[in-house]
Amino acid sequence: MQVNQTKSQFVAVASIAAELSAVMEVAKEISLAAANAKAIAFRAGEKAKGFQPITDFINELAKDTIELVNNINEYAFHLYRLTVNEQRMTEACRRFEKVGQLAVGARYADSLNAPLQQVRQRNQVCHREFIIQVSELLIKLADVMHPARAARVIAANSRIEASQAGEYLQSLQAVAESVDNAAQIINDKVHKCRSALTIINVAE
Amino acid sequence: MRMTKIYEGAYQWIMLGRDEHKPEKIIDTNQYMVRTANRCLLIDPGGIELFAPMLAAVLHHAPVEEITDLFASHQDPDIISSLGLWDQALPNAKLHASALWEGFLRHFGCETIEYVPIPDHGGVINLGSTELQIVPAHYLHASANFHIYDPHAKILMSGDVGAALEAPGMPVFVENFDMHVEKMRYFHQRWMPSNQAKRAWIDRVRKLDIDILAPQHGRMFKGDDVKRFLDWFEALQVGIAV
Repeated sequence: MQVNQTKSQFVAVASIAAELSAVMEVAKEISLAAANAKAIAFRAGEKAKGFQPITDFINELAKDTIELVNNINEYAFHLYRLTVNEQRMTEACRRFEKVGQLAVGARYADSLNAPLQQVRQRNQVCHREFIIQVSELLIKLADVMHPARAARVIAANSRIEASQAGEYLQSLQAVAESVDNAAQIINDKVHKCRSALTIINVAE
Repeated sequence: MRMTKIYEGAYQWIMLGRDEHKPEKIIDTNQYMVRTANRCLLIDPGGIELFAPMLAAVLHHAPVEEITDLFASHQDPDIISSLGLWDQALPNAKLHASALWEGFLRHFGCETIEYVPIPDHGGVINLGSTELQIVPAHYLHASANFHIYDPHAKILMSGDVGAALEAPGMPVFVENFDMHVEKMRYFHQRWMPSNQAKRAWIDRVRKLDIDILAPQHGRMFKGDDVKRFLDWFEALQVGIAV
């Protein structure tokens, strides 16, 4: 495996960690928006009756997203560890090969063959595990897209319900807008994560 | 890499250094190897840039499976930043290094090699047919620092004590002590922080029977130059940056 490829893995894994951190923040914002909406709907009483169950949905979606991202973060951390190990073994292979060139004629030069083979094998195993983890992470990221899509549908419903809430119209519309924006941001961030992972897969 | 045998008995001491292919801006270092019939100890095995020429040189004397012990006098990168590579190369080795530095040294990568923590009062490295003493040299210059003394070969590997910064390709032994002094002065005054630590080390080392004092940079001292060095170092004020 080439050194540059390991570098691109580092960049990809770091990008994913950064995007996931942003998704987490947005999910927390949705959760806050849900609490805010619940309070408004409570004050609006009958006028926002249709809005009240929606707030629970919004909150559930935020919780699901946070849980999924926590789970994905563990995958991302594992990918990072694999990348560090792979980088170390790639570097070891390169340096061992250099030793082989310099040790021509040395009495015990052949004794390095076994460690070199072992490091190459460990490197391959590590890389195969990395590829498997990337595939699993892509599936998990697709799972995060589901609540984000559902949030956009709920945001549309919220707008309809908000239109019947009289003087609370603006407040509830702002909530719907906020949920819609957050869902869009999550969608974009997750898409970036998938793109970063796809670049690694393409590089194989 | 140049290899110089400095002791030949039931086992050998070999100094490795003066690598012609060393990148220009990294400091030149002396590595030492103690080779017994079936074991090999590498003392301050060096930085990552030196790994390939160092191991290539060692393979003239020992197969990798008989490199059983590494020793790091302290935590500096020129001493042991190659640890992650030795970790991949050596199937059954131990690293003897300060307990204080364990959490730091593991940053270089240490999963296969067994870390043997040295307590502040020192200890021994048993190589089967011979036993070496680990001598405390704290604050000279690192806060946890050790040297290696071999009572049979009468060699003290003295880490940064006795080090000199010189142009590449210098001889391996001091030939004219008086002329050598200026190559050591600033290094010791600036890198060594404590006169108290220096005096404690000198008191300890004066009790040892030493034929060769072998620092990690520059030239080694032998015979009467060992005493000359101790006298010179004793009189030197160190810790000059404050």
